[in-house]
Amino acid sequence: MAAPPRHATMLSISNGDKPAQTQAQSQQGTLPQSPGLRVPSNRKTIYDRHLNRSRNAESSRASFAFLFGEMVTYAQRRVTGIQDLEKRLNEQGYPLGLRLLDLLFYRSTSTSSSALSSSSTSSSPPNRPLRIITLLHLIHGPLWRLLFGRAADALEHSVSPDTPNEYMITDNDPLVNTYISVPREMSMLNCAAFVAGIIEGVCDGCGFETKVSAHNQPTDLWPSRTVFLVRFGDAVMEREKVLERSGVK
Amino acid sequence: MVVYSFYIFDRHAECIYKRRWLPRPTSIVGKSRSEAAPTGLGQTVRSSDDDSKLVFGTVFSLRNMVRKLGGEEDNFVSFTTSQYKLHYYETPTNTKFVMLTDLKSPSMRIALQQIYINLFVEYVVKNPLSPTEHPGGVGVNNELFEESLEQFVVRAV
Amino acid sequence: MYNLEFENTIMFLNYTIALSDLGTLSNMGVFSLIIINKAGGLIYQREFQAGLRKLSTNDYLVLAGTFHGVHAITRSITPKIPSVQPPSPATSSPSTTTPAASHSYPNPGVPVTGLDYLETDKFRLTCFQTLTGTKFLLFTDPLTGNVDTIVQKIYELYADFVMKNPFYQIEMPVRCEAFDRHLGAWLRGRT
Repeated sequence: MAAPPRHATMLSISNGDKPAQTQAQSQQGTLPQSPGLRVPSNRKTIYDRHLNRSRNAESSRASFAFLFGEMVTYAQRRVTGIQDLEKRLNEQGYPLGLRLLDLLFYRSTSTSSSALSSSSTSSSPPNRPLRIITLLHLIHGPLWRLLFGRAADALEHSVSPDTPNEYMITDNDPLVNTYISVPREMSMLNCAAFVAGIIEGVCDGCGFETKVSAHNQPTDLWPSRTVFLVRFGDAVMEREKVLERSGVK
Repeated sequence: MVVYSFYIFDRHAECIYKRRWLPRPTSIVGKSRSEAAPTGLGQTVRSSDDDSKLVFGTVFSLRNMVRKLGGEEDNFVSFTTSQYKLHYYETPTNTKFVMLTDLKSPSMRIALQQIYINLFVEYVVKNPLSPTEHPGGVGVNNELFEESLEQFVVRAV
Repeated sequence: MYNLEFENTIMFLNYTIALSDLGTLSNMGVFSLIIINKAGGLIYQREFQAGLRKLSTNDYLVLAGTFHGVHAITRSITPKIPSVQPPSPATSSPSTTTPAASHSYPNPGVPVTGLDYLETDKFRLTCFQTLTGTKFLLFTDPLTGNVDTIVQKIYELYADFVMKNPFYQIEMPVRCEAFDRHLGAWLRGRT
């Protein structure tokens, strides 16, 4: 099975980068100008910390709002239209999803595995999700909790027989959109395309080729309700059938 | 309560009377007053003329704004900043009375009306020697009016 | 069963909102809000409750500009209290001392502001100026209490839903649906 192209490039980049970085770090004493990484006087960078140290740490909603605001402003430069803008936001989220997946697995193995999907069989370290439902539960629950501190609000499968590969994850009040008012002339835009990119990254990282998009579905009670439409590729659907027949969970 | 200054503007937007009561300097005790008084005067001579124009501009603009928003029968009463309070009273003949006080002062609307009725009408309007118009303050600055105004303000304080 | 219960709660929520609507109309008394940018331009105007005369957009623009100027003047006409300079033993002649430089304000500890509150027979105007020069003008009923709390909350909502919105261009008219929504909901929620 061919890996999704974006995934492949991401991997090759990080593979190519790593040795270079460690090299630079080992030569710290002689070469003060390390590429982009500032090393404090005690030589303890953020990479020297234990990954679980910030497990329960929270970041300020306001600083995130300003950062995300700038990301949207940045993505808006020289875009041709709303779709282009959403594509850029999606691309900003995608690598984040890939990296988050690793962190998610790491954290759920280092503590009780029950934190991960309920369908993982035993207390042994959870496997990478193989089936679509397992993956979607991982996104709906643990991933959402890691990102936003709560689970997503709904997870649905498309009822139409024409689109069995479509799933929907609903968030009634996406954190990223809390302070955003989209101008009327861009009413189709949903900045949660960034979150859609994260989901796409997580799916791709698990080996599920996917396209994810964010759509506005406002209700009176939830004016910024957003539905993330997850569309799995044909190869994924085919594999799903094979796995179902062989009884893999 | 402290009264800082008092202005009367006629219907031609001219300042026909102004008066300042400068509070004694707060910082020092035991300084000779004869020295403090001229310094105060010397300072105000230049700026008080500009001040009266600024005060008129302010109350004129605010009065118009209030009329626009609240309707013709609404009246601009007073405004407050962090440092002082400005009281405003306008007669049916368009003469405007303005008083600047400290923040602790209660509403001076009645007081301004009293000044109009009991002092201005009595000693200026009814004064046969005073002209009907008061360009440059002619006729308003008579002894009787000034003296009773002084008394009125001292009593109010 | 479970669904039914959920629906009931939603209906109940709507009902309480409707009730508070009725309550606030009679005793809240916030007429309208105007926001003026630091150059004196009108960037927001919204009426919450009838009570003041309606002006044309142009009149509101003029009003904002006028108020901006008047606000600056009210600050400059602050009474100055002459304070005698600390006694310097060497100079006794009055010509060498410059009295204009030495004066204090009535409330020395408090920063000098322009117009903060304006009272008329029919309404009360509260002006709040941020450190960056934006002015919030709140028109309320003269009897409405706690105006400062209301203005602070409006400033907070402005900081959240206007300044954190990537589509808002600074100093430009405020067209933020989330700001409108939260502002309306908050004012309605107060009794």
